[in-house]
Amino acid sequence: MNEMTQAARFVGQRVPRKEDRRLLTGNGAYTDDITVPGMLHAAFVRSYIARGTIKSINTDAAKALPGVHAVYVADDLRTLDIKFLQLYSSPTAPAPAMWPLADGRIAHVGEPVVIVLADSRALAEDGAALVEVDYESEEPVVTLEQARALTKAIHPDLGVKPADTMIVPSDDAMAETFAKAAHVVTGTIRHQRQAHSPMETRGVVAQPKGTGELTVWVSCQSPHMAARYLSEAFNLPAHSIRVIAKDVGGAFGLKVQLWREEVAAVAAALIANRPVKWIEDRLENLTSANQAREQEVTVKLALDADAKLLAADLEYHSNIGAFPHGIGANALGMMMFPGPYRLPRLSVNANAYFSNTCGEAAFRGPWMVESLARETMLDVAARQIGIDPLEIRRRNLITREEQPFTTCMGTVLNWVTPRETLELAVEKIDVAAFRAEQAKARTEGRYLGLGFATYVEPTTMNMGGVLSSEWAQVQVEPTGKVTAVISTHSQGHGTETTMAQVIADELGVPFNDVSVFEDDSSRGSFGAGAGGSRQAVAGGGAAIHAIAILKAKIKAIAAHLLNASADAVEIESGMIRVKGVEEMTTSLASLAATAYFETPRLPPGMEAGLTAQYRYSPPPFVFSNATHACVCEVDRDTGVVKILRWVASEDCGVMINPSVVEGQIAGGVTQGVGGVLMEQIRYDADGNPTAATFKDYLVPGIFDMPEIEYCHMITPADNPGGFKGIGEGGAIIGPPTIINAVADALSPFGVRTLDLPLSPPRLLALMDGAEAK
Amino acid sequence: MKAAPFDYVAPDSIEAAVDHLARGGGESVVLAGGQTLMPLLALRMATPSVVVDINRIAELSGVSRLDGATRVGATTRQATILTDPTIAAHAPTLAQAVRNVGHHQTRNRGTVGGSVSLGEPAAELPATALALEAMIETRSPRGTRRIAAGDFYTGPYSTVLEPDELVVALHYPDLPANTLTLVHEVARRPGDFALTGFIGAFTVDGGAISRARISWLAMGPTPMRSPKAEAALVGQRVGQIDLDEIGRLAASETDPMDDGHASADYRRTAGARIFRRAVGQALETR
Amino acid sequence: MSDHKIRLTVDGGPVSKTVEARQTLGEFLRDGCGRTGVHLGCEHGVCGACTVIVDGKAVRSCLMLAVQADGTEVTTAQGLAAPDGTLSPVQQAMMDEHALQCGFCTPGVVMTMTALTAGGARPTEAEIKAAMSGHLCRCTGYQGIMRAARKLAGVNA
Repeated sequence: MNEMTQAARFVGQRVPRKEDRRLLTGNGAYTDDITVPGMLHAAFVRSYIARGTIKSINTDAAKALPGVHAVYVADDLRTLDIKFLQLYSSPTAPAPAMWPLADGRIAHVGEPVVIVLADSRALAEDGAALVEVDYESEEPVVTLEQARALTKAIHPDLGVKPADTMIVPSDDAMAETFAKAAHVVTGTIRHQRQAHSPMETRGVVAQPKGTGELTVWVSCQSPHMAARYLSEAFNLPAHSIRVIAKDVGGAFGLKVQLWREEVAAVAAALIANRPVKWIEDRLENLTSANQAREQEVTVKLALDADAKLLAADLEYHSNIGAFPHGIGANALGMMMFPGPYRLPRLSVNANAYFSNTCGEAAFRGPWMVESLARETMLDVAARQIGIDPLEIRRRNLITREEQPFTTCMGTVLNWVTPRETLELAVEKIDVAAFRAEQAKARTEGRYLGLGFATYVEPTTMNMGGVLSSEWAQVQVEPTGKVTAVISTHSQGHGTETTMAQVIADELGVPFNDVSVFEDDSSRGSFGAGAGGSRQAVAGGGAAIHAIAILKAKIKAIAAHLLNASADAVEIESGMIRVKGVEEMTTSLASLAATAYFETPRLPPGMEAGLTAQYRYSPPPFVFSNATHACVCEVDRDTGVVKILRWVASEDCGVMINPSVVEGQIAGGVTQGVGGVLMEQIRYDADGNPTAATFKDYLVPGIFDMPEIEYCHMITPADNPGGFKGIGEGGAIIGPPTIINAVADALSPFGVRTLDLPLSPPRLLALMDGAEAK
Repeated sequence: MKAAPFDYVAPDSIEAAVDHLARGGGESVVLAGGQTLMPLLALRMATPSVVVDINRIAELSGVSRLDGATRVGATTRQATILTDPTIAAHAPTLAQAVRNVGHHQTRNRGTVGGSVSLGEPAAELPATALALEAMIETRSPRGTRRIAAGDFYTGPYSTVLEPDELVVALHYPDLPANTLTLVHEVARRPGDFALTGFIGAFTVDGGAISRARISWLAMGPTPMRSPKAEAALVGQRVGQIDLDEIGRLAASETDPMDDGHASADYRRTAGARIFRRAVGQALETR
Repeated sequence: MSDHKIRLTVDGGPVSKTVEARQTLGEFLRDGCGRTGVHLGCEHGVCGACTVIVDGKAVRSCLMLAVQADGTEVTTAQGLAAPDGTLSPVQQAMMDEHALQCGFCTPGVVMTMTALTAGGARPTEAEIKAAMSGHLCRCTGYQGIMRAARKLAGVNA
């Protein structure tokens, strides 16, 4: 640690994380670690039918069970006025009516129908087992294909139509482009449904206070967002709700907003006037928590004789389940399709459909279909045209000289390095050596493949609304130590560390003297926290602005006390120096003591203390970019894919902490690889989820990923600090990278690998269905 | 995900355990290593009235030699199999198989008898018992009996065990000299249930196969032998065997099912191919 | 539903409590012993987050009944650091190698590595990695865990 204390700059260093000590010693504070006196435990009775109506509910036996305190059905919550919010939904898409517990109709298996409160979770489950619900079942709408058929309304109030549609029309000129193009390439990519599967499931402890106040511990992506959500959902004044989320065991989009179970548990606590804990178990998490990525997109590319892109057409369909967190046809996914390429024209017909399945939630790079579709189809195109997949990229990627570059969807790309990261990855892989190895392997009946994919990641996402701004308060305490309260929030991101690195550098204090707090909505001000890869840019930017104010004040005080010019005052390692006058050196601690306790010595009229705050509205998008490359082997006998190498060549601007950056990339890539090779939420024809445990829902293990090789480029953007987001990129670019590697391995078979997951049975069938050339 | 209420007893003798089972009238379950039972309890897929914990019965644990066979007590931990010298000397195939059973952490609790008596069709130890022609020693109020592994399994998680009958030990007969044993499977991640896999034991005398045992996991409602393929192998000279053909024949004798992880076709096809490859390599490098 | 009096040692200290038959060791350590570092990630024996050391062996505490721990010696992640706060070699290696993000799977990972390296044992990197296949981590892609395994291989704990 000493080294860190002494170092001149912390940004850019692999500083060990402040969070780690408590987490490694088992002293983290996750939601289930919270115990409140008098707390009851909740369990839900959930629907086992996918569609239909509730005819009757008998809770008598459950209520009579010793240890059970209350059993509530939908009507029992009517004393409260509860609204569900769609924080990120398209303004044009109407939302279905929602209630915490199923209100007559059932729209998916796993819907909460009854909440049981008891002395322990086990007793609550005993009670739940005694509840009898009589359903009238109807044939459900389960698959995307069924949902697209629009045969019946999932929500009677919304009628029979797509949940949302986004159109970017084609025109005669575009039709002519396709008609005359030297090459037209079409393909359909299908992504199966995936579950976020954070290691900590959802959970909440709600403690009503006699004063009309409510304290809520909840596993979430921002305590401020959760507090705002509850305040609006229950129509309670914001100041009466305090949300605490110290440690959160992963979220990945699932915990962006509270949903039925959390709201039901809070409602039950308010009605019972007792603290209530609900901790989602893994079965619930895999069968009732919102899910993601069930989508397909048909891509049509027009290219000229030089394999330069002329136009693209997308037809997109997505199954967003019954109660999605946000209703939309993936507008961002459509908008980002051009990526870092010169694509002159794009037309889109995107549709989202409700179904009798779990609702959709944002999942790390919710728009990733753009890279998935574009990068896999570029490889298909290259193969069809007969050029190297690298070559098609080189001919179409924008260069530094072309920036700022406005895509055909109006997105302005600047300070991005797609060509450069591509060439770095190519060099790292040593493509020529690989091709020789691949050729030799094929003579032995072994199928090696190499895949590349390139993308730009829209980060920060100031798209208005709750994402408009983030807030930071930086305070030098009377001790000279620094505390910061920021509207960032970590679910593993390490923002306690990275924000402290930024603050230590900007303010000129030792890293160890900085403490960052982001876990309590009653401390600090609103911010959306994690989501949209925005914390470095937006949170870091807010902190940098606040520090600028604070530093000006410190310098003014120092100048006043030391009778020097403010311009000559420097703050470094917690000491205040006047340039050229070494004997005037004093500590920040002593200046702080003056600011708090000897206020008459301050410059006339100056506010006492050393606190500054700033609400920062970041740019709409700050783009990071990367090229990933993967080498894999597909076993000809079993269809099993083994990843042999993974190269991540990226540019996220100034890296606050390279270990954190690499950690974000690795985690995202692994989730993306899981989505391509292993993970699959499945439903049977009756709408029953059939991957309900971690035995059946397969997330990657330690042998599924090699050690990732990184190439870093640092091209700062023009925002404070020059940071760019990196949180979602791995999950965006990982999938097309591995798909392209598998496609390359299987290229002798002349097959396409665009139907996910690329499970052993699917790949074996593809190879067996064709003869290797 | 909490178990329904049950009573717990931890007898210290086989007699007492069997007595508890008898009194339970089918409502009792035996808790050995618990690595499968505990999830079933947590999911309320098993809701017994009494859980009979046999871990405190000293005589149920341990490896010994008896009548030309290796006797493995029912509650011998899977982890023990990996380090036990008697196993290494006389029944190394069992250790080969155990390496694929679960994970380090589950092998520290999981028992040989528990896995064998549960009869999960995709598990390694039931198929190994079949390939090694193990005898399963049980105790009930009616006394002791020995059941051939081949007669033991009746369906998925279903055996000929009576509700009041306890598996006390497995007897693995010594294999003939010059017997090559193989354990191969396709699993998505180490420790996952296999998509397909086999245990093979091939005795080679004077350059020809004199005895063959093949049993499959995840290829039917129970672990399954391939008697036709075994017979077809006998007498064949190493190096001249059409392993493609034998692999297909062996896999054709199975009865796999479709599930969310793999189709029956896949299991047969991939099974035949890993058989061909693994047996081929093993015989070549013998 | 039977209750049982049990006595055991948890992180070096004696514990004597009455437990319900159905209570798992993991639940007991959390609710009965304040060991909230024992994380119940799946409660069906797959994720490994709840791993603790029982009589020297790493086991999944969701797959053991509390009553079965009667007479045993149990160690959790809360019992590894020195009284002065010095992290154990495993904890330090995990921190140095950025082997954790959200930290939920971490105590389990730490306990398996601790069991493997206890008492001067020197497992190979491959052995540690093989044992790590019994843990699911959703954040790190196992990158730092692999590095920590390499660092611990051949290092006495």
